[in-house]
Formats: sequence, structure tokens, C-alpha cells
Amino acid sequence: MRSYWFGDIDDGVCTPAQGDEDRILERCDTIRGKVDTGFVPVSVKEACDCGFFADREEYLAKLRNVTIRDARRKIVAAFSEGDAELIQMVRMLDEIDEVVNLLTEKAVEWYLVKKPGFSRKYKSLSAKRMIGVIKKEKGPLGRICGEIDALSDHRVALMHDVSKRTDAVMPNCSNLVGGLVAARLMERAGGLSVLAGMPASTIQVLGAEGALFSHLRAGSPPPKHGIIFQHRRVHNAPRNVRGKVSRAVAGKLAIAAKIDYYRGELDPAFIEKAQERIDTVGEKE
Amino acid sequence: MKVIRGTIVSEGEGGVYGERMLNGCRVWDPHRSKFPAAILNGAPLDLSSDMRVLYLGAANGTTVSHVADYVETVYAVEFAPRPMQDLIEVARRRLNLVPIMGDANRPEVYGCFVEAVDMIYQDVAQPNQADILRKNLPFLKKGGIAILMLKARSVDVRRPSEEIAEETRMSLREMGLTITWSGTLDPFHKDHTCMLCVKEA
Repeated sequence: MRSYWFGDIDDGVCTPAQGDEDRILERCDTIRGKVDTGFVPVSVKEACDCGFFADREEYLAKLRNVTIRDARRKIVAAFSEGDAELIQMVRMLDEIDEVVNLLTEKAVEWYLVKKPGFSRKYKSLSAKRMIGVIKKEKGPLGRICGEIDALSDHRVALMHDVSKRTDAVMPNCSNLVGGLVAARLMERAGGLSVLAGMPASTIQVLGAEGALFSHLRAGSPPPKHGIIFQHRRVHNAPRNVRGKVSRAVAGKLAIAAKIDYYRGELDPAFIEKAQERIDTVGEKE
Repeated sequence: MKVIRGTIVSEGEGGVYGERMLNGCRVWDPHRSKFPAAILNGAPLDLSSDMRVLYLGAANGTTVSHVADYVETVYAVEFAPRPMQDLIEVARRRLNLVPIMGDANRPEVYGCFVEAVDMIYQDVAQPNQADILRKNLPFLKKGGIAILMLKARSVDVRRPSEEIAEETRMSLREMGLTITWSGTLDPFHKDHTCMLCVKEA
């Protein structure tokens, strides 16, 4: 017997698939006929001869209805896992960072032209403070700096939102390395399910693709860390053990991601042991 | 193929991705799409109005929309949700385009939707590109054409593309295909090799 989306065909006996499009799709999900040398693809003519469809046009119209509905359903399912929106939030956050920095740079240049006597040397003026000062200017520069300031407030708010969302979507990773780092790793991987499927060695160099491929191609030294460098245990570690620490962090993260994806809840016992390992790995034996 | 003053075009409703129009036809940009790039590099490729095509790796439907302008029916397989949203939109206005959301690695999942085709176009850039084509060969009629757009950098970044191409040609022959043409897509696409094959009758 051969099973197709519209029904079964068995030695010239045709049995149509019953029900509406959703029922048809449910049935399609159960069809897993091997596609190998003995495989017989759909024959539209055969389907019409069975009396399921008047002609090719009708066949195609009905098939398209079914496959488009199927695709829509799968898209909704893929986006509803919560990590899809988190990815977009992280991307927006990093983009705002970039934009705020660029705008601030331009605003400062502008300010220096307006105030020839002003210099940033010997003053501890952070970019944020600088904007605070320039904001008080009258005219276009002051107005624009007001907007830059507002944008960085949005950034702070979004950062909290990202952390909160990460705590919900991937509690173990978030707990282990902090919401932002965990979210960035997931963004780079392309989703929680992808991250959960990655070996620790890949997670270790996520975000260091440039260095990794230059290593593979030209034999330059391999990268020790990618995004996980942003974790304090990694970037605060002394240079000579930084590789070792990042390896340990990546190893625990790989496990945490798998717990997050397959179980989806916080495992305090695991976190405690993992945290201890990460905290002690850099110390001399 | 329809060519106007050296530019490959297709006849159909425009505005799919902001493509230019020429005498009312849609310009098929070889820098954007690998299909016209292969033709300009000498591939003996033609699409006719009685063809049925299985297109693996349809993405946003850019190339697929042009193919659909020429042939009778296109079955377009795409796995990622984001491009699939665009592909559905393209398919809504092209009634001979059947969008299928599925993994080209697992033809048994979408096998119940696809009829026997005259051409398979394999443009999924994965390390096992040739193997994906092999898995989908049962859909191809005897004497049908299989096109593999090999992206060497997706197979292995370390080895030269010519070496990977040679290896791929070997595995294509092993799966019972006869290679009728093979050439690079320079200067339109870097590190790409197009391979035209025929399934023996």
C-alpha cells in the first residue's frame, strides 16, 4: 500500500483521506514511507483517476492549501518557544549599544567645535556623563543629546527585560553565567534547541568565529574563548589559566543548556556543584 | 531561457524582492541567484513550461519565483521558519508553487506531497550537500536533471574548493548520475561549483 497526503492507494483500490485540512495534516505526520529505490512518488494522474480530484489544477490548489497550512503551523510552533523573541531582544540590545556609542562620539565632536576651550583630558567624564553635560546646551545639539540619553535609558530597561526573559527561558544557564551572557550565547547559536545540541568545545568559542576559522585555515593560535569571555570568572582569571577556566565554564554551560532545553526548570544541586567547579578551577592545586 | 540584450529575465509578476524590470520582464540577477550565474558561465541549462521541479533550499523564494515563472510546477522545500514566512507570501501569488516546510535531509517526512519531477535543484549549503541530493533522487524521473550548487566553504573551510569539487563529482557518479557539465560560478559567487547531472534511464 502506498500512502500519500490525499489518501492511500493499494493495488488500484483508492481510499481517500478523511476530514478537513487539519485532519489530513495529522495523518500526513504519521506517513513516514522510506524514500529509496522502491519509492513511488505521487502521481497526479493516478490521484485524479481515483476520483479524488477533477484535474491537475484542483489537485494543486488543494495540495497548496494543505502545505501552506502545515508551514504556517510549524512557523507558529517554532516561534512560540520563547527563545525566538529573546533572540530579537538581544540583537536589539547590542544594536542600541552600537548606535548610542556612535551617536555619542559624533555629539562630543560637535561639542568640541562649539566649545573650543573644552577638553576631556584629566577629567573623568564617561560617555554617559558627557551626554549629560552636552544635553544642557541650547539648540539642535542639546535636543539630540536628550534623545541619545533617552535611548540609553531604553537600553538599561531592555537589559533588565532580557535578563528576566532569560531567567524564564533558560534558568540554569542564566544562573550559571548571568542572563546577558546566556542570552548572547543562545542568540549566537540560533536557538535554545541548537545550543543544547552543541558540544562544550563549540560553546567555548561561540562568538570567536573569526579567530576560529583563521586558526583552521592559517594555523594561527586557536581562540580560548568567545562570548563566555564576558563572564567575570573568565575575564578576571589570570592570563595563564584563562583557557582552563573558559573550558570549565563551557563544559558546565553545555550541561546547563541541555537541562534547560529538555527539562526546563532550575536544578539547584547542579548549579551549586557547577559554580563550585568554576570558582575553584583557576586556583593552583 | 528568455534573454533580453544579454540579460536573463523571466516573465511573471514583479516586485517579489525589488527586482528590476526590463520590457515588462523580471531581471534575473546572476549576482544574486546562482541559476543565471551558471548559465552565463556556459551551463547548458534550460527551463521549459512542461517541467516539474523539486527545489531544495528555497529560502526566501528569490530564485524559486523565477523558476516558477518558467516551469509548470515547483515543489519548494525550506526548513527555517523566518525565510518560510517570505516563501509562503511568494507562493500565495504564484499558483504553481508548492511551499513545503521540511528538512531536505529527511525526504520521508515530505515524501507524501511530492510527485515525480523532471529536475531537482539542490541549493542547501550543508556539509553533506551531495548526500542530500542522493536522498532526494527517488523523486527524479529517469533521464531527469539534477543540479547541485556546491558551496565548497560549507563542506570544509580548510581544503581548496577544486579538491572538494572533485570529491563531490566522484560521489555523484557513485550514486548513478552522469555529470554533463561542471563549472565554477566565478565571478558571481565565490567558491561555488555548479554540477549538472542526468539520472540514467
